[in-house]
Amino acid sequence: MSSTTQIAPKAIKLDAGNGTLSVQWSDGHLSLYPYQYLRDRCPCATCSEKPRATHAGPAPAAPSAFPMFGIKAIKPNRAELVGRYALQIFWNDGHSTGIYAFEHLRELCPCAECEAKAENPEVK
Amino acid sequence: MPINPQDVIKALSSVKDPDLNRDIVSLGYVKDLEVGDHRVSFTILFPTPVSTIKQQLGATAKHAVEALGVADVQVRVTSATAGGATPGGTPGTMPSAGPKHNLIPQVKNTIAVASGKGGVGKSTVAANLAIALSLTGAKVGLMDTDVYGPSVPMLMGGHEAPHVVEGKLEPPVEYGIKIISMAYFLPKDEAVIWRGPMLHKTINQFLGEVRWGALDYLLMDMPPGTGDIQLSLSQTIPLTGAVIVSTPQDLALTVASKAIAMFQKLRVPILGLVENMSYYICPECGHREGIFGHGGARAAAQQMGFPFLGEIPLDMFIRTSSDSGKPVALDATTPQGRAFQEIASAVVEQVGVANSLAAQEISIQ
Repeated sequence: MSSTTQIAPKAIKLDAGNGTLSVQWSDGHLSLYPYQYLRDRCPCATCSEKPRATHAGPAPAAPSAFPMFGIKAIKPNRAELVGRYALQIFWNDGHSTGIYAFEHLRELCPCAECEAKAENPEVK
Repeated sequence: MPINPQDVIKALSSVKDPDLNRDIVSLGYVKDLEVGDHRVSFTILFPTPVSTIKQQLGATAKHAVEALGVADVQVRVTSATAGGATPGGTPGTMPSAGPKHNLIPQVKNTIAVASGKGGVGKSTVAANLAIALSLTGAKVGLMDTDVYGPSVPMLMGGHEAPHVVEGKLEPPVEYGIKIISMAYFLPKDEAVIWRGPMLHKTINQFLGEVRWGALDYLLMDMPPGTGDIQLSLSQTIPLTGAVIVSTPQDLALTVASKAIAMFQKLRVPILGLVENMSYYICPECGHREGIFGHGGARAAAQQMGFPFLGEIPLDMFIRTSSDSGKPVALDATTPQGRAFQEIASAVVEQVGVANSLAAQEISIQ
């Protein structure tokens, strides 16, 4: 319980190419999050009222009010650190109340290695 | 065998800057400390150009860590360049190596003084700690964030009042310490009956709209518990660390551990525990009694792996001084004043440790 050697982000790139946000972690891991994937997993109270998307499963698609007009591709306009423990993302759909705690963000990493760990927690 | 960062810090604390006669950790020169399984690396950042003496310090530091049995020690010795980060101010000040404070960029270190339960003496400890720190030569501010039960102005004399300068609040100064408190804005008999968003707004105002100026330490006297104010503070600025106050009782410690759990979740370093009302000495016969038990906080700190910062006795003199608005720490020659001086020294040391371990600012592009 003593000194924190918690994994933390070192560098965050809002546009890491191919519509992804990247996080370079202090343990050397690199996470790439597709924008919609991250937006669908917004942890704010309002979004979590809807059925929670899990790491393994896809998020239910939000119903579009005007499907014939097409939906603007989601992307982050900017992001800010919250204290010492989280990232707040300001999305281009106007939503910004989600605070992604670093622990949670790392758990959301969609790479094959992290997915394997999520499915088999005993396997190191 | 994995290397304990605390052992590395301890070893580096034996290396003194000969000019200032203080160790490089408490001076804040140690940066980017990385402790791997067999490898330790760090930078020593001097504020002034590096001379041969300073290069030798680098070698001394390397040997100190190697003496722990670490095979691979990488040391980088460098000095501040114009426009780059400057690690030190004048001697006696504590530079910040951690994340920047956006709302209060000129405040080097922010320390929350917190507890689980109420009534354990947070405000008394915060006020006296502020004074003890300022007696070491540091520039100190004290923010009373207990909006419901603000007690700091009374503890500190309450002679001055805030006034507006260039659209911002100039905080009153008592005993050399800048103070802000809800008490300044409320008529005496009025209560604050607010919900969360108002508290959050107040914290933002206390941070962003007060002319704190350049401070070495800004202490924040917290309300009891783990509620809106703790959360607002931890979300708005990257706190340097938290000092946890408890009485010796198991009951107080159990609740204090909740506050500790909260700060850990929010990644705020725990600077250490203080045991208040540690024991009572009878003014008549000098008999010592542990009315609330004794040593519980020290044991808990050891068990949890946190530093124990010191004990403060249950002392009528502390209470009468507080009531008369003259905190005991003003007189460092009294046993009570000395107790606070020792705690202040421990806090300075732990701030140095926390800043050495803090990662550099996370870049967002």
